[in-house]
Amino acid sequence: MKQFNRQTGRAGEGYAATYLEKKGYIILEQNFSNKFGEIDIIARDKHILVFVEVKTKIGSDFGIPEEMINSGKLQRVRNMATMYMKGELRQCRIDVVAIVLDEENGIKRLTHYENVY
Amino acid sequence: MLVKINSISNVGLETIPVDVEVDVAEKGFPGFTIVGLASKAVEEARERVKTAMVNSGFDFPPKKITVNLAPADLPKDGAAYDLPIAIGVLIASGQLECTFSNAFFYGELSLDGTLRPTRGILLLALFANRTSDAKIFVPKPSAPEATMVKGVTVYPVGTLTDLVRHINESSPIKPLPHDIIRIDEEFESGESDLKDVAGQEQAKRALIIAAAGGHNLLMWGPPGTGKTMLARALPGILPPLSPDEALEVTRIYSVSGLLSPGTSILTKRPFRSPHHGVSAAGLIGGGSSPQPGEVSLAHLGVLFLDEMPEFSRSVLEGIRQPMEDGAVEIVRVSGHVKYPASFTLIAAINPCPCGYLGHPRRACTCTQKMIAKYRHRLSGPILDRIDLTVLVAPVDVEKLSLTRQADTNNLTSRQAKSMVVKARAIQSKRFIGTHMYTNSQMKNRDVKLFGKLTVEAENFLKLASEKYDFSARSYMRLIKVARTIADLANAETILPVHMAEALQYKQLT
Repeated sequence: MKQFNRQTGRAGEGYAATYLEKKGYIILEQNFSNKFGEIDIIARDKHILVFVEVKTKIGSDFGIPEEMINSGKLQRVRNMATMYMKGELRQCRIDVVAIVLDEENGIKRLTHYENVY
Repeated sequence: MLVKINSISNVGLETIPVDVEVDVAEKGFPGFTIVGLASKAVEEARERVKTAMVNSGFDFPPKKITVNLAPADLPKDGAAYDLPIAIGVLIASGQLECTFSNAFFYGELSLDGTLRPTRGILLLALFANRTSDAKIFVPKPSAPEATMVKGVTVYPVGTLTDLVRHINESSPIKPLPHDIIRIDEEFESGESDLKDVAGQEQAKRALIIAAAGGHNLLMWGPPGTGKTMLARALPGILPPLSPDEALEVTRIYSVSGLLSPGTSILTKRPFRSPHHGVSAAGLIGGGSSPQPGEVSLAHLGVLFLDEMPEFSRSVLEGIRQPMEDGAVEIVRVSGHVKYPASFTLIAAINPCPCGYLGHPRRACTCTQKMIAKYRHRLSGPILDRIDLTVLVAPVDVEKLSLTRQADTNNLTSRQAKSMVVKARAIQSKRFIGTHMYTNSQMKNRDVKLFGKLTVEAENFLKLASEKYDFSARSYMRLIKVARTIADLANAETILPVHMAEALQYKQLT
């Protein structure tokens, strides 16, 4: 089961990256990770650094992906972002991309929330 | 979309309007936040509202929902904001259209969408009455509380779905008809009847005076002589509450959540007998958001302290101020509130720890030191506030005899009550236009105004005062008792004979 989740997640992150690139973002890094955690996508929107958390779900039997993101999760992303910037002061923000997939891993819905923290 | 719903917050017995502002934003990360100094119970409204809405067949919008309870600096407590928040979310998310004004929403939701009994409905109704043509939507079980308030349309809401159907006019809720305060004049004996108490004529007389004038009474005597039984007979001889009094008492019970669902108004005088293990906060009132204590729950009724010296001293001293002022002011970090606490104190004590001091036949086994220690638990200031002291002496075996013909001239509770009711009628006529109901509530100024002593009676009192060294407070209190005795005798002025009887009840050896 766990590995399917991972597959779903990877598929979602792929969709998200494509979506953001189409929007004009420049993808700097995907799955930036260290022992403290992971940031799904790091991108640049003009001069702003954007840290993106992607949440993917298949169907809506277990709730919507937005429900799975709470303040604790966002705090982890924030900590990771600080580590990524290594103390540099840069303009940045945290975005969330929520994706719902159908049974065949096709996109049912993709919502991009800017500046959620 | 932004929606504003009217609700209220109760701080003690004061009601403050609260605007429940609900915003459902199209943009922004989905979430549900409540701001406005919400307590834990209000914070948890999030989960209740969410689940109740879904279980009632509505959509809980996956959008950024912000709820603000204004004014922002007033701490809010309780679950009553569930209903206004749910209605606000429904309207703001476009699932419901609401056009009417002057509506107040108040009530706790359960997870299936039914409304649960909520405290403080009566206060909401009284507050809503200040706006013309007000409608209140309140939980069905608690709605009868509000029907006494004229000028407010009360809608009893069973479930969230019912309310939505009412608002979109598919199936209107019938408002509850207004009720007038009906006081049951019918006699109903208390837990025990006066005629069941053998002998104790003086104690019974003192009990009637206490009931008639609202005076504090101390009964002392050996164990098993009928002190507790006499006190339990008191509810049976107390006069019924007047409509104004009933409203006052019900308000207190409404905020404490002690009205059983379906009750509209309390018509019986409260009789509270807290156990001697009671804490100061329990007796006087308290808590982080101060709740009424026993003294306030006994407002306009009786507070019975059985085995009074067993109460902890610091707790007991706390009732001194309410006994004098008829109200308690409770100060806590969250603010201060004032509750009325105009009660009649009935206390029962033994003369000494073993209980047999002064007994005609049994010997007391206490040492002088033990007796002194026991007596010391009741402070002078407390005793000074007690108007009537009466000895409940051991009963003669003759009077207890079951086979002998019962005493035919034994006073019944029914007779006693009619005496009390007559005396109270005289008092309420006297105090028309004031906030007093009984002689005991008179302040010194009022005593001068309403006392109506004859010169002989006052001289008699002066003589006694000099001899027994009564305090100024005792002096005034004696006049009040004499006034009640005169009322019981239907006398216009206080005669020496009334004063003499009052003085009889001023002794404790």
